[in-house]
Amino acid sequence: MKNNFKFLSALIKLRLSHIMTFRLGFFGPFFIDTSYFLVQIFAFEAIYGHVDSIRGWGHGEILIFIGTFSLINALNMTIYFFGVISIPEKIQTGELDLYLTKPVNPLLRITFEKVNPGSIPLLLFSACIIIYGAKECGTSFSGANVIGYLLMILLMAILYYDMELLIRCFAFFVFSVNNLVKIESTAIELCLKIPGIAFYGIYKVVFYCILPYGIIATLPTQMLIGVLSLKGILFGMTIVCVFTFLALSFWKYGVHKYESASC
Amino acid sequence: MKKYLEIAKAYMKTQLIWRWDTFIDVVLAMAKVIFAWILWSILFEGKEQIAGMGFYTMISYYIISSYLFQLDKSSEISQQMTNMLRNGTFSKYMVIPVHTQAYFVAMAAGKIVFSACICFFTTILCFYFSGISFVAAINIKILFCGAIMIALGLLFMAELNYFLGILTLKFEEISTFLMIKDNFSAFVTGAVVPLALLPEWMLSGMRYLPFYYVTYLPSMLLIGKQG
Repeated sequence: MKNNFKFLSALIKLRLSHIMTFRLGFFGPFFIDTSYFLVQIFAFEAIYGHVDSIRGWGHGEILIFIGTFSLINALNMTIYFFGVISIPEKIQTGELDLYLTKPVNPLLRITFEKVNPGSIPLLLFSACIIIYGAKECGTSFSGANVIGYLLMILLMAILYYDMELLIRCFAFFVFSVNNLVKIESTAIELCLKIPGIAFYGIYKVVFYCILPYGIIATLPTQMLIGVLSLKGILFGMTIVCVFTFLALSFWKYGVHKYESASC
Repeated sequence: MKKYLEIAKAYMKTQLIWRWDTFIDVVLAMAKVIFAWILWSILFEGKEQIAGMGFYTMISYYIISSYLFQLDKSSEISQQMTNMLRNGTFSKYMVIPVHTQAYFVAMAAGKIVFSACICFFTTILCFYFSGISFVAAINIKILFCGAIMIALGLLFMAELNYFLGILTLKFEEISTFLMIKDNFSAFVTGAVVPLALLPEWMLSGMRYLPFYYVTYLPSMLLIGKQG
């Protein structure tokens, strides 16, 4: 464990000195995230300018929801996104061999080797949106709610990672995962626009249990506004555990079946 | 002209090789419509109209705009150009007797024609399963204008992606530009939300951008909302 931390710290130092070399590359994620963030804000304005509330959630709650999704996405972009999305290319070109032959956990290295601080400003923008949403709600949040919210954010960031990893691991078995990624982004786009509480019937099963993007921002928001029950907390924790287990097992299975690009 | 027609034909045939890609394209087009259905059925709860559009008009808009959005295959141009410039294979376009820009436009056209036929059936299926009768503009002149606008819009997107691909000659990597373009174009073409939902001042501003005429205006014309 101690060695892993030492390794991670060295990896991040190397990464930072590398991205400082290319200034546009350093600020790239910031521009990408800002554009994505602006688009989401405009889309929010366009939709919720005509709708007063959804299943009891007013503008304040929806703003917290959007801010929370943006916050988790910013964490994803800062910490692991650029590492995880490189998995299919590494598999196709055989570059994964270099990772498998090193005396370090290959997944750990891939996950953290492309840490990018360019998305840190988005964390601040998202926090501003959440604070603004909280003001709109007009209710004060207890310390326990805020701590619970932060823990939920952490759990949901792990779930986001699990989903990204699961989809990219298909590259071990198929020629291209581009279209799967398109389906992933379409599902994320939908779940970013409407809170999970609005889903019902089969849609609820799909977006809570099969493609659990529906809970990623919903559960933390419910936690912050104090409406998340113990059952909801347990459900969130179970889903994270199940998907973490699935993602890691799928990765291990993929590596086991991996025959390198030359075979 | 004939050689570009041949290039378009060759790329159209190439699409047949990737049958699973075609299948996923169809699934994706349907998923977009299903997701739009879920979103708007929730938002329309207790409402007859939003921004002057009824529920079925909104879904018709999404089916048509999703079809038009699926048609645009030109984003592959910039990706292909950047890869080829980086690994040195781009020089092949310099030794064949074609204009590089026209070659890439012809390539996109070939892919679009194939995609247009496949996605047309998807669109028909979407209308059939959703039980919505197609609210089309009956006026033949408007339909003709819509068709011209779609063709020009697709040409514009191909040229834009060619231009972004050329940036590889100047920058180490262009994925930042491409991702920003993807984020903005999805919104300003009206593929994310109908632009009619935006405030009037924003909509007026968008009329000066070519993206407005790529997906949004043709879709609105085809559902008979503008003319």
